[in-house]
This record gives sequence, structure tokens and C-alpha cells, in this order.
Amino acid sequence: MKPIPLSLLGLAAAVLLAGCASSHNSSDQALQAAHTAFQQVKEDADVLRSAPKDLIRAGESLAKADRLSSYWGSADDVSHYAYLSQQYSAIAKQKSALNLNQERAVKLELERQRLQLALREAKLLSVQDQSNWLEEQMVSLATIQSERGLVMTLGDVLFDAGHSDLKASANRTVLKLVQFLQLNPRRVVRIEGYTDSRGDAQENLELSRARAQAVADVLVDLGIDAKRIEVQGHGESFPVTENASAKGRAQNRRVEIVFSDEQGNLGSSR
Amino acid sequence: MIYRRICAALLPLMLSACASDPVPNEQLRLTEQALSQAKALGMAAEQSASLRLAEEKLVLAQAAMADEDYKQARVHAEQAELDARLAEAEHLTGKSQQQLAELSNAINRLRKQLGGLQ
Repeated sequence: MKPIPLSLLGLAAAVLLAGCASSHNSSDQALQAAHTAFQQVKEDADVLRSAPKDLIRAGESLAKADRLSSYWGSADDVSHYAYLSQQYSAIAKQKSALNLNQERAVKLELERQRLQLALREAKLLSVQDQSNWLEEQMVSLATIQSERGLVMTLGDVLFDAGHSDLKASANRTVLKLVQFLQLNPRRVVRIEGYTDSRGDAQENLELSRARAQAVADVLVDLGIDAKRIEVQGHGESFPVTENASAKGRAQNRRVEIVFSDEQGNLGSSR
Repeated sequence: MIYRRICAALLPLMLSACASDPVPNEQLRLTEQALSQAKALGMAAEQSASLRLAEEKLVLAQAAMADEDYKQARVHAEQAELDARLAEAEHLTGKSQQQLAELSNAINRLRKQLGGLQ
């Protein structure tokens, strides 16, 4: 067997080295990029705290790539470990960002809950304000009669003559009444009907009671508990003025609503 | 005669380098696990360059396994594993970023409402 000529071996070596030279360039670049990436994360305290294992692996892979880069013909391995190092650095960076985001989310969540609470309180306050306002309105509609408490008078115009059905024009007053009772759930009312002195006294008594009941029915329809409402008819009794003139009689035809105090205590009935 | 000896000495050395690469079964298992973990988050390869890389490299690794080129199989599989892990980390970070934005929005809305009441 003939020995392989020296020139042939030389040629083979040259080809091998040339191949190395080009891949050596790219492996150098990969190594450089990995170094840069690692440099960025290794001095970041947040990364060190959030992803210590990935950081260590990035360093180990980089050291391996560095070591291999001094060996002949290991360019591919250098590139490989440089790539692994770079990926570990990137993963560590992402985990750190995730961790920071989560910590921030916890703080924001607390802030949100605090604001929700504040909003709820503010809304509650504004409802109380409204309730105070409404109470003022109701008081202005009503008159204080010392022995009976707060009394509100629904005038004659809210009913047709001789009928007990409440007219539509009463709606606004009734709605205010309902709202007031809803905002003051402990208050109760007594609804009292009155007529003038014309006609049969017994019929007047029945009509006065029917009118008072009509107001009570509307309140119940609008959601007020019937237990909070007491109904009485007084007929011709307790006129507020003389029955001689049409104007006086009109004033005597009325429905009065007597409010309890805030604890639900009603004045005694007539 | 000396060249022949050198060649004879070099040849088994070179071959042994190939032969000594173990079959990277464990690495492939790890890679597949990392990939399925990333996909379990509902990620699609179209949305993540890292996930796409991971999938491509896993295919290369499996092909290298079939060719019994265990070194290449290991290299591709190792890279694919980290690509998949990076894809997962990127996804989670993106999600948390989104959550932060939603929280900030909610807080701004609340502040506005509170401002309106006061």
C-alpha cells in the first residue's frame, strides 16, 4: 500500500481550516451576543431575585462556549452553547419582568379595592344627602301639629267629587311619599280621610275611609309594606275650617298622612 | 509508513467522537414537555416566533434521531427546549402586562367616578 502523499494531507487540512474560518466568524458573533445578553441580566438585581436558576445556567453555558472557543474545530459547539446562554438570559429577563408585573398588579389591586370602597361610601353619602333633601321637602309639604307629629295634607283636588279614586295629578305627591318611606324604612304612617258636612254623615264616613284606603292602596302597589300603613276614616269630624262656604268645605275635604318619628312611634289616633 | 500509522490512529478517534454521542431520549422528552407546556397556555405558533422556532427545531431533532445523528438531535432538541421555555415566559409576561393595563383602566374609571361625586 502506497503512503498518502503529504501534499494531499496538506490540502485536506487547508479545506478543513477554511471551513472552520467561516463558521468561526459566526460562532464569534454568537459568543459576543451571548456575552452582551448575559452582561445585561447578571447585574440586574430583579433578575437575580426572580430567576436565579436561569441566570446560573446562562453563565454556565456561556463559560462552556468560552472554553470551547479556544479549541480547534469546535465552532458549532461554541455557537450552540452561546445560543443556549442567550436563551437562558432572555428567559431570565422575561421571568423578571413577569415578577415585577405581578408585584405591581398586587399593589394596583389593593388600590382598586380601596377606590371601590371609597366610591361605595361616596354613593351612600349622596343617597343620604338625597334622603335629607327629600325629608326637607316632605316636611315643607307637611305641617307640624304638636300633638300629632308630622302631618301631610293631600287636598280635595286629588279626588273627584263623591269618588274615592285618586286622580293622576296625585302621582307626584304619592311618589315622593313612597320614596320618603323607602329611605326611612322605620317610619310608619296613618292615613286619615275627612269630608265636609254636606250629605249623609254615614256616607261621608264611608267615603272618607275609602279615600284614605285608596291612598294606602297606591302606596302598597308601589312597594310599601302594608304593615306600615294604618287607615282611618273620620267623616265630617275634625274640620279644619267652617263648612259654610265652598272654599271652607273644600279645605275640609282632605286626606291627612300622619308620620311616625324615625323610631316608628305614631302619635295616638283621634 | 508513518502517515499510515497516523491515519490509523486518527480514524478511530474521529469515529469514536461520533459513536460516543449517547441517544438523547431524555432531552427529547424534556423538549416535548416544554413545548406542550407552552401550548397548554393556548399559544399558537403564528403569534410567537420563539414557539415557531421550537417547533421547527423539534422536527429537525426528530429527523436527526431517525438518521441516528444523535449529536445533531441533541443540539436541536436542547435549543428547541429553551425556545419553548422562552415562548412560555414571553406569553406569561405579555399576559401580566395586559392585566396591568386592565387594572390601570379600572382604577382610572373609579377615580373619574369619584371625582364626579365629589
